[in-house]
Amino acid sequence: MSEQYEVLNPWAEVDPIPLRGISPRVTDLNNKTIGLFVNRKVAAAPTQMVVEERLKERFPTLKFSSFVFGRDEEIVLTNDRARFEEWVKGVDTVIAAVGD
Amino acid sequence: MKKPAILLSSKDFAGEAKLVASSKKVPGLRIVPETIPLDCTVMEEIESGVSAAMDDIIAALTQPLTDEEELPQAAEVEKLPHIVFKGYLDEVNQFFYKRGWTDGLPIIPPTDEAVSQMLMGTDLPADHIVGKILPRLGKATVEKIAINAVMAGALPTYMPLLIAAVQAITDRRACFGSWGISTGSFSPFWIINGPVYKDLNINNGSGALSPGNIANSAIGRAMGLIILNIGGTRKGIEDLGTFGNPAKNSMVIAENEEANPWEPLHVEQGYSKEDSTVTLCFPNCISQVKPYGSDDKGILNAAISNIIPGRAGPFCILLSPSNARILSEKGWTKEKIAAFISKHAIIPANHHPSYYGAATRIKDQQTSSPNDSKQILSNLNWIRSIVFGGSGNLVGLVAAQHNEGGDWVTKKIELPKNWDNLVTRYKGIVPKYILY
Repeated sequence: MSEQYEVLNPWAEVDPIPLRGISPRVTDLNNKTIGLFVNRKVAAAPTQMVVEERLKERFPTLKFSSFVFGRDEEIVLTNDRARFEEWVKGVDTVIAAVGD
Repeated sequence: MKKPAILLSSKDFAGEAKLVASSKKVPGLRIVPETIPLDCTVMEEIESGVSAAMDDIIAALTQPLTDEEELPQAAEVEKLPHIVFKGYLDEVNQFFYKRGWTDGLPIIPPTDEAVSQMLMGTDLPADHIVGKILPRLGKATVEKIAINAVMAGALPTYMPLLIAAVQAITDRRACFGSWGISTGSFSPFWIINGPVYKDLNINNGSGALSPGNIANSAIGRAMGLIILNIGGTRKGIEDLGTFGNPAKNSMVIAENEEANPWEPLHVEQGYSKEDSTVTLCFPNCISQVKPYGSDDKGILNAAISNIIPGRAGPFCILLSPSNARILSEKGWTKEKIAAFISKHAIIPANHHPSYYGAATRIKDQQTSSPNDSKQILSNLNWIRSIVFGGSGNLVGLVAAQHNEGGDWVTKKIELPKNWDNLVTRYKGIVPKYILY
Protein backbone atom coordinates (compact mmCIF):
# COMPACT_ATOMS: atom_id res chain seq x y z
CA MET A 1 0.00 0.00 0.00
CA SER A 2 2.81 2.36 -0.80
CA GLU A 3 0.97 4.20 -3.55
CA GLN A 4 -1.35 7.09 -2.93
CA TYR A 5 -4.38 7.57 -5.15
CA GLU A 6 -6.06 10.78 -6.17
CA VAL A 7 -9.65 9.72 -6.68
CA LEU A 8 -12.53 11.33 -8.53
CA ASN A 9 -15.90 12.17 -7.06
CA PRO A 10 -18.58 9.52 -7.82
CA TRP A 11 -21.49 11.56 -6.46
CA ALA A 12 -23.59 13.11 -9.21
CA GLU A 13 -24.46 16.72 -9.59
CA VAL A 14 -28.06 17.83 -9.83
CA ASP A 15 -29.53 20.71 -11.74
CA PRO A 16 -30.35 23.62 -9.48
CA ILE A 17 -34.12 23.77 -9.37
CA PRO A 18 -35.66 26.65 -7.44
CA LEU A 19 -37.53 25.67 -4.32
CA ARG A 20 -41.27 26.19 -4.39
CA GLY A 21 -43.42 27.41 -1.54
CA ILE A 22 -46.61 25.60 -0.75
CA SER A 23 -50.01 27.02 -1.62
CA PRO A 24 -51.92 29.21 0.83
CA ARG A 25 -54.31 27.27 3.03
CA VAL A 26 -58.05 27.58 3.11
CA THR A 27 -58.99 29.65 6.13
CA ASP A 28 -62.12 27.71 6.97
CA LEU A 29 -63.25 24.24 5.97
CA ASN A 30 -66.97 24.95 6.01
CA ASN A 31 -68.64 24.54 2.61
CA LYS A 32 -65.36 23.56 1.01
CA THR A 33 -64.75 20.61 -1.31
CA ILE A 34 -61.98 18.32 -0.12
CA GLY A 35 -60.14 16.28 -2.70
CA LEU A 36 -59.18 12.84 -1.44
CA PHE A 37 -56.30 11.40 -3.46
CA VAL A 38 -56.04 7.62 -3.16
CA ASN A 39 -52.98 5.75 -4.38
CA ARG A 40 -52.73 2.01 -5.05
CA LYS A 41 -51.71 0.92 -1.56
CA VAL A 42 -54.21 -1.24 0.22
CA ALA A 43 -54.72 1.09 3.17
CA ALA A 44 -55.14 4.27 1.15
CA ALA A 45 -58.82 3.93 0.26
CA PRO A 46 -60.10 2.89 3.69
CA THR A 47 -57.95 5.60 5.27
CA GLN A 48 -59.58 8.23 3.09
CA MET A 49 -62.98 6.76 3.81
CA VAL A 50 -62.40 7.28 7.53
CA VAL A 51 -60.91 10.73 6.96
CA GLU A 52 -64.10 11.68 5.13
CA GLU A 53 -66.29 10.32 7.93
CA ARG A 54 -64.35 12.10 10.66
CA LEU A 55 -64.24 15.41 8.80
CA LYS A 56 -67.97 15.24 8.10
CA GLU A 57 -68.60 14.81 11.81
CA ARG A 58 -66.80 18.08 12.50
CA PHE A 59 -67.75 19.99 9.35
CA PRO A 60 -71.16 18.79 8.12
CA THR A 61 -71.16 21.19 5.15
CA LEU A 62 -67.97 19.73 3.67
CA LYS A 63 -68.14 18.08 0.29
CA PHE A 64 -65.72 15.44 -0.96
CA SER A 65 -64.33 14.29 -4.28
CA SER A 66 -62.08 11.26 -4.62
CA PHE A 67 -59.40 10.52 -7.19
CA VAL A 68 -58.03 6.99 -7.38
CA PHE A 69 -54.69 6.37 -9.07
CA GLY A 70 -53.64 2.75 -9.06
CA ARG A 71 -50.20 2.86 -10.62
CA ASP A 72 -46.73 3.31 -9.14
CA GLU A 73 -45.83 6.24 -11.32
CA GLU A 74 -45.84 9.99 -11.08
CA ILE A 75 -49.30 10.85 -12.27
CA VAL A 76 -48.15 13.92 -14.19
CA LEU A 77 -46.04 11.62 -16.38
CA THR A 78 -48.97 9.40 -17.30
CA ASN A 79 -52.00 9.60 -19.54
CA ASP A 80 -54.06 10.31 -16.43
CA ARG A 81 -52.55 13.79 -16.09
CA ALA A 82 -55.41 15.61 -17.83
CA ARG A 83 -58.03 13.75 -15.81
CA PHE A 84 -56.10 14.54 -12.63
CA GLU A 85 -55.74 18.23 -13.43
CA GLU A 86 -59.43 18.49 -14.22
CA TRP A 87 -60.22 16.87 -10.88
CA VAL A 88 -57.92 19.27 -9.00
CA LYS A 89 -59.76 22.24 -10.52
CA GLY A 90 -62.93 21.09 -8.83
CA VAL A 91 -61.63 20.92 -5.26
CA ASP A 92 -60.53 23.54 -2.73
CA THR A 93 -57.84 21.55 -0.97
CA VAL A 94 -56.34 18.07 -1.25
CA ILE A 95 -55.55 15.31 1.21
CA ALA A 96 -53.30 12.64 -0.25
CA ALA A 97 -53.07 9.27 1.45
CA VAL A 98 -50.42 6.81 0.35
CA GLY A 99 -51.48 3.99 2.61
CA ASP A 100 -48.09 3.62 4.24
CA MET B 1 -53.16 25.51 -11.06
CA LYS B 2 -52.19 25.44 -7.41
CA LYS B 3 -54.24 23.96 -4.63
CA PRO B 4 -53.25 23.51 -1.01
CA ALA B 5 -52.46 19.92 -0.23
CA ILE B 6 -51.31 17.77 2.64
CA LEU B 7 -49.95 14.25 2.77
CA LEU B 8 -50.99 11.58 5.23
CA SER B 9 -48.04 9.30 5.79
CA SER B 10 -47.11 6.58 8.21
CA LYS B 11 -44.99 7.93 11.04
CA ASP B 12 -42.40 5.33 9.98
CA PHE B 13 -42.06 6.96 6.56
CA ALA B 14 -42.77 10.61 7.40
CA GLY B 15 -39.06 11.43 7.38
CA GLU B 16 -38.61 9.75 4.02
CA ALA B 17 -41.65 11.58 2.67
CA LYS B 18 -40.05 14.84 3.77
CA LEU B 19 -36.87 13.93 1.89
CA VAL B 20 -38.87 13.17 -1.24
CA ALA B 21 -40.73 16.46 -0.94
CA SER B 22 -37.39 18.25 -0.65
CA SER B 23 -36.01 16.40 -3.64
CA LYS B 24 -39.08 17.55 -5.58
CA LYS B 25 -38.24 21.09 -4.43
CA VAL B 26 -41.29 21.48 -2.22
CA PRO B 27 -39.65 21.15 1.20
CA GLY B 28 -42.56 22.80 2.98
CA LEU B 29 -45.11 20.13 2.02
CA ARG B 30 -47.19 19.53 5.10
CA ILE B 31 -46.92 15.89 6.04
CA VAL B 32 -49.21 14.58 8.74
CA PRO B 33 -47.75 11.46 10.37
CA GLU B 34 -50.29 8.82 11.30
CA THR B 35 -49.97 5.65 13.32
CA ILE B 36 -51.78 3.24 10.99
CA PRO B 37 -49.67 0.08 10.51
CA LEU B 38 -48.09 -0.21 7.05
CA ASP B 39 -50.41 -1.72 4.42
CA CYS B 40 -53.03 -2.09 7.12
CA THR B 41 -56.18 -4.06 6.36
CA VAL B 42 -57.68 -3.89 9.86
CA MET B 43 -60.42 -1.30 9.82
CA GLU B 44 -60.30 -0.67 13.57
CA GLU B 45 -56.61 0.25 13.37
CA ILE B 46 -57.23 2.56 10.42
CA GLU B 47 -60.08 4.24 12.29
CA SER B 48 -57.95 4.64 15.38
CA GLY B 49 -54.98 6.02 13.43
CA VAL B 50 -57.08 8.53 11.50
CA SER B 51 -58.94 9.65 14.62
CA ALA B 52 -55.67 10.31 16.41
CA ALA B 53 -54.44 12.40 13.49
CA MET B 54 -57.61 14.45 12.92
CA ASP B 55 -56.49 17.58 14.79
CA ASP B 56 -53.21 17.56 12.88
CA ILE B 57 -55.02 17.03 9.58
CA ILE B 58 -57.30 20.02 10.18
CA ALA B 59 -54.42 22.17 11.33
CA ALA B 60 -52.35 21.23 8.26
CA LEU B 61 -55.27 22.13 6.02
CA THR B 62 -56.06 25.48 7.61
CA GLN B 63 -53.15 27.01 9.53
CA PRO B 64 -51.61 29.97 7.69
CA LEU B 65 -48.26 29.44 6.05
CA THR B 66 -45.07 30.30 7.82
CA ASP B 67 -42.52 32.45 6.03
CA GLU B 68 -40.35 29.38 5.41
CA GLU B 69 -43.26 27.43 3.92
CA GLU B 70 -44.12 30.34 1.64
CA LEU B 71 -40.59 31.16 0.54
CA PRO B 72 -38.32 28.23 1.40
CA GLN B 73 -34.62 28.89 1.55
CA ALA B 74 -32.31 26.43 -0.09
CA ALA B 75 -30.05 24.55 2.28
CA GLU B 76 -26.36 24.91 1.54
CA VAL B 77 -25.24 22.07 -0.70
CA GLU B 78 -21.75 20.74 -0.23
CA LYS B 79 -19.63 21.42 -3.28
CA LEU B 80 -17.33 18.49 -3.87
CA PRO B 81 -14.13 18.93 -5.84
CA HIS B 82 -13.43 16.84 -8.93
CA ILE B 83 -10.58 15.09 -7.11
CA VAL B 84 -12.38 14.30 -3.94
CA PHE B 85 -9.66 12.59 -1.89
CA LYS B 86 -6.02 11.57 -1.89
CA GLY B 87 -4.73 8.65 0.13
CA TYR B 88 -3.54 5.07 0.29
CA LEU B 89 -5.81 2.23 -0.80
CA ASP B 90 -7.22 1.57 2.66
CA GLU B 91 -7.72 5.27 3.26
CA VAL B 92 -9.55 5.70 -0.02
CA ASN B 93 -11.81 2.80 0.82
CA GLN B 94 -12.53 4.08 4.31
CA PHE B 95 -13.24 7.57 2.95
CA PHE B 96 -15.68 6.25 0.36
CA TYR B 97 -17.34 3.88 2.81
CA LYS B 98 -17.82 6.61 5.39
CA ARG B 99 -19.37 8.86 2.76
CA GLY B 100 -21.86 6.12 1.97
CA TRP B 101 -20.55 5.77 -1.58
CA THR B 102 -19.93 2.02 -1.60
CA ASP B 103 -21.92 -1.19 -1.37
CA GLY B 104 -19.87 -2.26 1.64
CA LEU B 105 -17.16 -4.02 -0.32
CA PRO B 106 -13.80 -2.46 -1.18
CA ILE B 107 -13.73 -0.44 -4.37
CA ILE B 108 -11.14 0.11 -7.06
CA PRO B 109 -9.90 3.70 -6.63
CA PRO B 110 -11.39 5.81 -9.45
CA THR B 111 -8.26 7.67 -10.39
CA ASP B 112 -8.13 10.00 -13.36
CA GLU B 113 -6.09 7.39 -15.23
CA ALA B 114 -8.51 4.54 -14.51
CA VAL B 115 -11.52 6.66 -15.45
CA SER B 116 -9.83 7.77 -18.66
CA GLN B 117 -9.31 4.12 -19.57
CA MET B 118 -12.94 3.39 -18.78
CA LEU B 119 -14.01 6.25 -21.04
CA MET B 120 -12.32 4.50 -23.96
CA GLY B 121 -15.37 2.26 -23.93
CA THR B 122 -17.58 4.94 -25.45
CA ASP B 123 -17.46 7.58 -28.15
CA LEU B 124 -19.71 9.85 -26.12
CA PRO B 125 -18.09 12.88 -24.48
CA ALA B 126 -17.48 12.65 -20.75
CA ASP B 127 -19.94 15.43 -19.98
CA HIS B 128 -22.76 13.92 -22.04
CA ILE B 129 -25.80 13.39 -19.83
CA VAL B 130 -27.29 9.95 -20.46
CA GLY B 131 -30.20 10.60 -18.13
CA LYS B 132 -31.21 11.81 -14.70
CA ILE B 133 -31.70 9.05 -12.19
CA LEU B 134 -34.43 9.11 -9.58
CA PRO B 135 -35.01 9.85 -6.79
CA ARG B 136 -32.35 12.57 -6.64
CA LEU B 137 -32.43 13.22 -10.37
CA GLY B 138 -28.65 13.03 -10.34
CA LYS B 139 -27.10 13.72 -13.70
CA ALA B 140 -25.75 10.48 -15.13
CA THR B 141 -22.94 11.93 -17.17
CA VAL B 142 -20.74 9.50 -19.03
CA GLU B 143 -17.92 10.42 -16.66
CA LYS B 144 -19.95 9.67 -13.51
CA ILE B 145 -20.98 6.33 -15.02
CA ALA B 146 -17.29 5.63 -15.72
CA ILE B 147 -16.20 6.59 -12.19
CA ASN B 148 -18.72 4.22 -10.64
CA ALA B 149 -17.82 1.54 -13.16
CA VAL B 150 -14.16 1.77 -12.13
CA MET B 151 -15.16 1.48 -8.49
CA ALA B 152 -17.10 -1.68 -9.30
CA GLY B 153 -14.15 -3.32 -11.03
CA ALA B 154 -15.74 -3.12 -14.47
CA LEU B 155 -13.74 -3.31 -17.68
CA PRO B 156 -13.89 -0.50 -20.27
CA THR B 157 -15.74 -2.81 -22.64
CA TYR B 158 -18.72 -2.73 -20.24
CA MET B 159 -19.26 1.00 -20.76
CA PRO B 160 -21.63 0.72 -23.75
CA LEU B 161 -23.76 -1.74 -21.80
CA LEU B 162 -23.76 0.44 -18.67
CA ILE B 163 -24.82 3.46 -20.71
CA ALA B 164 -27.72 1.46 -22.18
CA ALA B 165 -28.59 0.21 -18.70
CA VAL B 166 -28.77 3.79 -17.45
CA GLN B 167 -31.07 4.57 -20.37
CA ALA B 168 -33.25 1.65 -19.27
CA ILE B 169 -33.41 2.66 -15.64
CA THR B 170 -34.33 6.22 -16.56
CA ASP B 171 -37.08 5.05 -18.91
CA ARG B 172 -40.26 5.80 -17.02
CA ARG B 173 -41.80 2.50 -18.15
CA ALA B 174 -39.34 0.75 -15.84
CA CYS B 175 -40.85 2.57 -12.83
CA PHE B 176 -37.47 2.66 -11.14
CA GLY B 177 -38.66 5.54 -8.98
CA SER B 178 -41.08 3.12 -7.32
CA TRP B 179 -39.35 -0.25 -7.46
CA GLY B 180 -35.89 1.03 -6.63
CA ILE B 181 -36.93 2.31 -3.21
CA SER B 182 -39.83 0.04 -2.33
CA THR B 183 -40.27 -1.91 0.89
CA GLY B 184 -40.62 -4.87 -1.51
CA SER B 185 -36.84 -4.84 -2.15
CA PHE B 186 -37.18 -5.20 -5.91
CA SER B 187 -33.89 -5.70 -7.68
CA PRO B 188 -32.92 -4.88 -11.25
CA PHE B 189 -32.62 -8.03 -13.35
CA TRP B 190 -30.41 -7.33 -16.37
CA ILE B 191 -30.72 -9.66 -19.36
CA ILE B 192 -28.21 -9.22 -22.17
CA ASN B 193 -28.91 -10.26 -25.74
CA GLY B 194 -27.07 -10.09 -29.03
CA PRO B 195 -23.48 -10.54 -30.13
CA VAL B 196 -22.03 -8.35 -27.37
CA TYR B 197 -22.42 -11.03 -24.75
CA LYS B 198 -19.58 -13.02 -26.31
CA ASP B 199 -17.33 -9.96 -26.50
CA LEU B 200 -17.89 -9.33 -22.80
CA ASN B 201 -17.75 -12.96 -21.69
CA ILE B 202 -21.12 -12.67 -19.96
CA ASN B 203 -21.96 -16.04 -18.54
CA ASN B 204 -25.14 -17.56 -19.94
CA GLY B 205 -24.34 -21.08 -18.89
CA SER B 206 -23.69 -22.96 -15.69
CA GLY B 207 -24.35 -20.89 -12.58
CA ALA B 208 -24.77 -17.66 -14.52
CA LEU B 209 -26.55 -16.04 -11.60
CA SER B 210 -23.82 -17.01 -9.14
CA PRO B 211 -20.65 -14.96 -8.54
CA GLY B 212 -17.43 -15.85 -10.35
CA ASN B 213 -17.62 -14.06 -13.70
CA ILE B 214 -16.28 -10.53 -13.83
CA ALA B 215 -18.88 -9.35 -16.35
CA ASN B 216 -21.93 -10.76 -14.56
CA SER B 217 -20.63 -9.51 -11.21
CA ALA B 218 -19.16 -6.13 -12.12
CA ILE B 219 -21.95 -4.99 -14.44
CA GLY B 220 -24.57 -5.49 -11.76
CA ARG B 221 -22.31 -4.01 -9.12
CA ALA B 222 -21.59 -0.98 -11.28
CA MET B 223 -25.30 -0.40 -11.79
CA GLY B 224 -25.81 -0.71 -8.04
CA LEU B 225 -23.18 1.99 -7.43
CA ILE B 226 -24.69 4.16 -10.18
CA ILE B 227 -28.10 3.84 -8.53
CA LEU B 228 -26.48 4.74 -5.21
CA ASN B 229 -24.19 7.59 -6.20
CA ILE B 230 -25.95 9.09 -9.19
CA GLY B 231 -29.56 8.34 -8.30
CA GLY B 232 -28.99 8.90 -4.59
CA THR B 233 -30.80 5.73 -3.48
CA ARG B 234 -29.29 4.88 -0.11
CA LYS B 235 -30.27 1.90 1.99
CA GLY B 236 -32.51 2.77 4.88
CA ILE B 237 -32.87 6.37 3.73
CA GLU B 238 -34.37 6.32 0.25
CA ASP B 239 -34.32 2.55 -0.31
CA LEU B 240 -36.75 1.30 2.30
CA GLY B 241 -36.63 -2.40 1.43
CA THR B 242 -37.98 -4.27 4.42
CA PHE B 243 -35.75 -7.33 4.10
CA GLY B 244 -33.42 -6.20 1.33
CA ASN B 245 -32.40 -8.42 -1.52
CA PRO B 246 -29.06 -10.12 -2.25
CA ALA B 247 -29.82 -9.78 -5.97
CA LYS B 248 -29.11 -6.07 -5.59
CA ASN B 249 -25.42 -7.03 -5.56
CA SER B 250 -25.79 -8.25 -9.12
CA MET B 251 -28.37 -10.08 -11.18
CA VAL B 252 -26.98 -10.18 -14.71
CA ILE B 253 -27.24 -12.90 -17.32
CA ALA B 254 -27.05 -13.29 -21.07
CA GLU B 255 -29.66 -15.31 -22.85
CA ASN B 256 -28.25 -18.41 -24.51
CA GLU B 257 -29.33 -17.63 -28.04
CA GLU B 258 -27.55 -20.60 -29.58
CA ALA B 259 -29.54 -22.99 -27.43
CA ASN B 260 -32.71 -20.96 -27.68
CA PRO B 261 -35.07 -22.64 -30.14
CA TRP B 262 -37.25 -19.54 -30.31
CA GLU B 263 -36.79 -15.85 -30.94
CA PRO B 264 -34.49 -14.33 -28.32
CA LEU B 265 -35.83 -11.84 -25.84
CA HIS B 266 -34.61 -8.73 -27.64
CA VAL B 267 -36.32 -9.79 -30.86
CA GLU B 268 -39.55 -10.21 -28.89
CA GLN B 269 -38.93 -6.69 -27.63
CA GLY B 270 -38.76 -5.32 -31.18
CA TYR B 271 -35.04 -5.35 -31.94
CA SER B 272 -33.21 -7.21 -34.66
CA LYS B 273 -31.28 -10.36 -33.87
CA GLU B 274 -28.01 -8.61 -34.78
CA ASP B 275 -28.58 -5.86 -32.22
CA SER B 276 -27.05 -6.09 -28.79
CA THR B 277 -29.41 -5.07 -26.03
CA VAL B 278 -29.96 -4.92 -22.32
CA THR B 279 -33.39 -5.69 -20.89
CA LEU B 280 -34.53 -4.69 -17.43
CA CYS B 281 -37.28 -5.76 -15.07
CA PHE B 282 -37.68 -5.57 -11.28
CA PRO B 283 -38.37 -8.91 -9.58
CA ASN B 284 -37.93 -9.54 -5.90
CA CYS B 285 -37.73 -13.30 -5.76
CA ILE B 286 -36.43 -16.30 -7.63
CA SER B 287 -37.34 -19.91 -7.03
CA GLN B 288 -35.91 -23.02 -8.66
CA VAL B 289 -37.93 -26.22 -8.86
CA LYS B 290 -37.51 -29.67 -10.31
CA PRO B 291 -39.90 -30.50 -13.17
CA TYR B 292 -42.77 -32.83 -12.30
CA GLY B 293 -41.65 -35.01 -15.20
CA SER B 294 -39.00 -34.93 -17.89
CA ASP B 295 -41.43 -34.10 -20.68
CA ASP B 296 -43.07 -30.82 -21.64
CA LYS B 297 -46.02 -31.41 -19.32
CA GLY B 298 -43.70 -32.07 -16.38
CA ILE B 299 -41.79 -28.84 -17.00
CA LEU B 300 -44.83 -26.64 -17.39
CA ASN B 301 -46.82 -28.27 -14.61
CA ALA B 302 -43.94 -27.60 -12.23
CA ALA B 303 -43.94 -23.99 -13.35
CA ILE B 304 -47.65 -23.34 -12.92
CA SER B 305 -47.76 -25.17 -9.60
CA ASN B 306 -44.94 -23.18 -8.01
CA ILE B 307 -45.79 -19.61 -8.81
CA ILE B 308 -46.48 -17.94 -5.49
CA PRO B 309 -50.10 -16.76 -5.34
CA GLY B 310 -49.33 -13.21 -4.28
CA ARG B 311 -47.49 -12.45 -7.49
CA ALA B 312 -48.26 -10.28 -10.48
CA GLY B 313 -46.42 -8.00 -12.87
CA PRO B 314 -43.34 -8.84 -14.97
CA PHE B 315 -42.54 -12.52 -14.60
CA CYS B 316 -40.14 -14.90 -16.29
CA ILE B 317 -39.76 -18.60 -16.53
CA LEU B 318 -36.08 -19.53 -16.73
CA LEU B 319 -35.51 -22.48 -19.00
CA SER B 320 -32.30 -24.45 -19.20
CA PRO B 321 -31.24 -25.32 -22.75
CA SER B 322 -32.43 -28.91 -22.28
CA ASN B 323 -35.86 -27.84 -21.06
CA ALA B 324 -36.17 -25.34 -23.89
CA ARG B 325 -35.34 -28.08 -26.39
CA ILE B 326 -37.91 -30.45 -24.90
CA LEU B 327 -40.62 -27.81 -25.06
CA SER B 328 -39.72 -26.74 -28.56
CA GLU B 329 -39.73 -30.29 -29.87
CA LYS B 330 -43.26 -30.67 -28.53
CA GLY B 331 -44.38 -27.59 -30.43
CA TRP B 332 -44.27 -25.05 -27.63
CA THR B 333 -43.43 -21.46 -28.53
CA LYS B 334 -42.74 -18.61 -26.14
CA GLU B 335 -46.23 -17.29 -26.86
CA LYS B 336 -47.82 -20.65 -26.13
CA ILE B 337 -45.83 -21.02 -22.92
CA ALA B 338 -46.96 -17.59 -21.74
CA ALA B 339 -50.56 -18.37 -22.60
CA PHE B 340 -50.37 -21.72 -20.80
CA ILE B 341 -48.88 -20.17 -17.66
CA SER B 342 -51.39 -17.36 -17.61
CA LYS B 343 -54.32 -19.72 -18.11
CA HIS B 344 -53.28 -22.56 -15.83
CA ALA B 345 -51.41 -20.86 -13.00
CA ILE B 346 -54.65 -20.58 -11.07
CA ILE B 347 -55.48 -20.77 -7.44
CA PRO B 348 -58.64 -20.75 -5.36
CA ALA B 349 -59.92 -17.22 -4.98
CA ASN B 350 -59.30 -17.26 -1.26
CA HIS B 351 -55.56 -17.90 -1.89
CA HIS B 352 -55.27 -14.72 -3.95
CA PRO B 353 -54.45 -11.40 -2.29
CA SER B 354 -57.28 -9.65 -4.08
CA TYR B 355 -59.77 -11.83 -2.19
CA TYR B 356 -58.73 -9.92 0.91
CA GLY B 357 -58.47 -6.59 -0.83
CA ALA B 358 -54.69 -6.58 -0.81
CA ALA B 359 -54.20 -6.16 -4.53
CA THR B 360 -57.25 -4.13 -5.35
CA ARG B 361 -59.38 -1.85 -3.34
CA ILE B 362 -62.42 -4.01 -3.94
CA LYS B 363 -62.33 -7.24 -2.07
CA ASP B 364 -63.05 -10.17 -4.35
CA GLN B 365 -64.88 -11.90 -1.53
CA GLN B 366 -67.74 -9.53 -2.29
CA THR B 367 -67.99 -11.07 -5.75
CA SER B 368 -66.24 -14.46 -5.50
CA SER B 369 -66.75 -17.64 -3.59
CA PRO B 370 -63.63 -19.03 -1.89
CA ASN B 371 -63.16 -21.86 -4.39
CA ASP B 372 -63.58 -19.88 -7.58
CA SER B 373 -60.50 -20.08 -9.81
CA LYS B 374 -58.30 -17.05 -9.98
CA GLN B 375 -55.39 -16.41 -12.39
CA ILE B 376 -52.11 -15.37 -10.76
CA LEU B 377 -50.68 -13.78 -13.91
CA SER B 378 -53.66 -12.38 -15.74
CA ASN B 379 -51.69 -10.31 -18.25
CA LEU B 380 -49.95 -12.29 -21.00
CA ASN B 381 -47.58 -9.41 -21.66
CA TRP B 382 -46.02 -9.81 -18.23
CA ILE B 383 -44.62 -13.25 -19.04
CA ARG B 384 -41.29 -13.99 -20.74
CA SER B 385 -39.35 -17.22 -21.27
CA ILE B 386 -35.59 -16.82 -20.88
CA VAL B 387 -33.20 -19.55 -22.00
CA PHE B 388 -29.89 -19.80 -20.17
CA GLY B 389 -28.12 -21.90 -17.58
CA GLY B 390 -26.10 -25.07 -17.62
CA SER B 391 -26.93 -28.73 -17.73
CA GLY B 392 -29.84 -29.72 -15.58
CA ASN B 393 -33.55 -29.61 -15.80
CA LEU B 394 -34.50 -27.14 -13.09
CA VAL B 395 -37.15 -24.59 -13.84
CA GLY B 396 -36.56 -21.04 -12.61
CA LEU B 397 -39.38 -18.69 -11.70
CA VAL B 398 -38.54 -15.01 -11.35
CA ALA B 399 -41.39 -12.92 -10.10
CA ALA B 400 -42.29 -9.49 -8.94
CA GLN B 401 -45.08 -8.72 -6.56
CA HIS B 402 -46.94 -5.75 -7.81
CA ASN B 403 -50.02 -5.32 -9.89
CA GLU B 404 -49.59 -2.34 -12.10
CA GLY B 405 -46.75 -0.10 -13.14
CA GLY B 406 -43.47 -1.37 -14.47
CA ASP B 407 -42.85 -3.06 -17.76
CA TRP B 408 -40.10 -4.90 -19.58
CA VAL B 409 -37.71 -2.25 -20.90
CA THR B 410 -35.07 -3.01 -23.53
CA LYS B 411 -32.35 -0.66 -24.81
CA LYS B 412 -29.90 -1.09 -27.64
CA ILE B 413 -26.20 -1.15 -26.76
CA GLU B 414 -24.32 1.26 -29.01
CA LEU B 415 -20.71 0.22 -29.54
CA PRO B 416 -17.82 2.68 -30.04
CA LYS B 417 -15.75 2.83 -33.23
CA ASN B 418 -12.75 1.20 -31.57
CA TRP B 419 -14.82 -1.74 -30.36
CA ASP B 420 -12.84 -4.49 -32.02
CA ASN B 421 -9.57 -3.18 -30.56
CA LEU B 422 -11.10 -2.94 -27.10
CA VAL B 423 -12.47 -6.44 -27.30
CA THR B 424 -9.09 -7.75 -28.40
CA ARG B 425 -7.52 -6.07 -25.40
CA TYR B 426 -9.95 -7.25 -22.74
CA LYS B 427 -11.62 -10.40 -23.99
CA GLY B 428 -8.81 -12.61 -22.78
CA ILE B 429 -9.54 -11.76 -19.16
CA VAL B 430 -11.18 -15.03 -18.14
CA PRO B 431 -10.55 -17.39 -15.24
CA LYS B 432 -8.49 -20.45 -16.06
CA TYR B 433 -9.19 -22.98 -13.36
CA ILE B 434 -6.45 -25.39 -12.36
CA LEU B 435 -7.59 -28.97 -12.05
CA TYR B 436 -6.94 -30.55 -8.66
